Amino acid sequence: MASKGLLSFTRSFNTLRAFNASTKDPLVQCLAPRLSRSMATEAPLPSNMSEAEHGYNSFSMPEDPNPSSTVITTIYSFPDMEPLRFEYYNDKHLHLPLRRDILHRAVVFEGDMTRQGTASTKTRHEVHGSHRKIRPQKGTGMARLGTKQSPMLRGGGKSFGPHPRDFATQLPRKIYDLAWRTALSYRYRKGQLIVCEDGMDFEHPEGEWATEVFEHNNWGKADGRSLIVTADKRENLFEALGKAPQNGRAITTWDVDVKDLLETGRVVIEKSALDDILREHQSDLIGKVRNAQ
Amino acid sequence: MPPRLPALTAYCRVAPVVSAPFTAFLLPFMQARNASILGALSDTPGAYSKRIRRGRGPSSGKGKTSGRGQKGQKARGKVAPRFQGGQTPQEIVHGTRGFENHFSVEMSPINLDRIQSWIDQGRLDPSKPITLKELNDSRCLHGVKDGVKLLARGKEQLKTPINILVSRASAEAINAIEALGGKVTTRYYTATSIKRVLKGESESTFTPLPYAPGADGQSPLLAALSSSAQPFTYRLPDPTSRKDMEYYRDSAHRGYLSHLVEEGHGPSLFYKTPGTYTRRRSKKTGAAASAAGDNRVW
Repeated sequence: MASKGLLSFTRSFNTLRAFNASTKDPLVQCLAPRLSRSMATEAPLPSNMSEAEHGYNSFSMPEDPNPSSTVITTIYSFPDMEPLRFEYYNDKHLHLPLRRDILHRAVVFEGDMTRQGTASTKTRHEVHGSHRKIRPQKGTGMARLGTKQSPMLRGGGKSFGPHPRDFATQLPRKIYDLAWRTALSYRYRKGQLIVCEDGMDFEHPEGEWATEVFEHNNWGKADGRSLIVTADKRENLFEALGKAPQNGRAITTWDVDVKDLLETGRVVIEKSALDDILREHQSDLIGKVRNAQ
Repeated sequence: MPPRLPALTAYCRVAPVVSAPFTAFLLPFMQARNASILGALSDTPGAYSKRIRRGRGPSSGKGKTSGRGQKGQKARGKVAPRFQGGQTPQEIVHGTRGFENHFSVEMSPINLDRIQSWIDQGRLDPSKPITLKELNDSRCLHGVKDGVKLLARGKEQLKTPINILVSRASAEAINAIEALGGKVTTRYYTATSIKRVLKGESESTFTPLPYAPGADGQSPLLAALSSSAQPFTYRLPDPTSRKDMEYYRDSAHRGYLSHLVEEGHGPSLFYKTPGTYTRRRSKKTGAAASAAGDNRVW
């Protein structure tokens, strides 16, 4: 009942906002308490700082292409996490409902695909050695035995042992792509998707540096670690996190998968990396028709 | 050594965090954990069926005989699928008929109405030659088997003149395309060359490999190789069997080798064109003839 009441209040609040022209301003939308949508990069202003000090008024405000079907994100600089500007994203990219079944299928699909499947044993026909009868059939007072390779004997073959195989399973492309965007949307809704300006890197390849930055931002071990995604490998950043892996992981767009997006406490992602991922994983949104080149 | 961090920390802004929950005042008494969603994922219960565990006790319902019934060969092991209880198996009663022709080719058919539909949708560009690669890339064809045969279904729907290169073409399709001012060419493809064309390793070219040696006696193949700075790894082969050569030498098929046929000659490599040769007379003269006459037994 309480949630229903809140929902209706939220709806009425939305209609109120729609009529009020001044609140259509994205800056005001971002800074106002948003009840309908949690904003990924919602940051309460420190009370001792005014807006002028922050220079928020100098933000470049892109025109909202379609206010009914977009969500807004803030782009930060890295590592000083200064908010730079706002960007709009399609709500089919970053504001999908949580589908645990789709995520489960994607994670299982990835896990199956990752299995090596190289376990191998020898059957009685593959174990090396002579197939001579190892003792007479009768007269020894002991059990009847044939060859040494019998699975019953020590050193014999394995009767139903593992052999190399491919564990990979199939998942329709459109479902997998939906899972990617569902995972990103889940992060966005929880405020755990932090989008940074391109060119994320550290000045020094030092683990202590990484730890300081992560702990200062509440990204570290105590806060569930963080995943850093960049478009390509950044030497200092990757080396620093390799030295201080308790803080999180840094991987490139090429290496990231759905499970990675869901594992850690939050995802800190470069804007171009996010755009790449969204562009690669929208086969269920765009038609399959390829035009003539 | 990097600079110590207090300076950085001082001018850093704190990254956004989720606003404090209502239960923040309880935090000292609660264990704060960052639980991943991974443990809470599951497929919809109706979307999958649980594996039946056979032979795992009476309460499982598939315990004692594991659903195999009582006694007998089916309870213990397996019965060959051809076994019909002692009756003579079907494959022995009726035997096998027919054979598989290893030399037959399976052409992927492509019809004129489909091509026009693809052009209308903007998926094929009629201003450029349409070859196997364009057809396959635009998904007008879903893969190419041993070649592509152009057929005339919906020929009245074709409105655009096209320049098309395929393996074979029906006479009706050729007429329909040429009536609009289009052009049809057929050329020889092997399975390997189709694969390479589709991968972009070969050019889907209208012309055969050069045959005639150059003016300086250089190999025409080497000359073509050196002259063309093409990005393709492989050249397409030309036919070597008489049947294929004759098909593509035939101008009725719009074959790409039809320019090799001399004026007034037929495409066949076996039958000579009537009127283009003189019958050799076995008229022998002089000593040879008389010697032959002497050798007669009777």
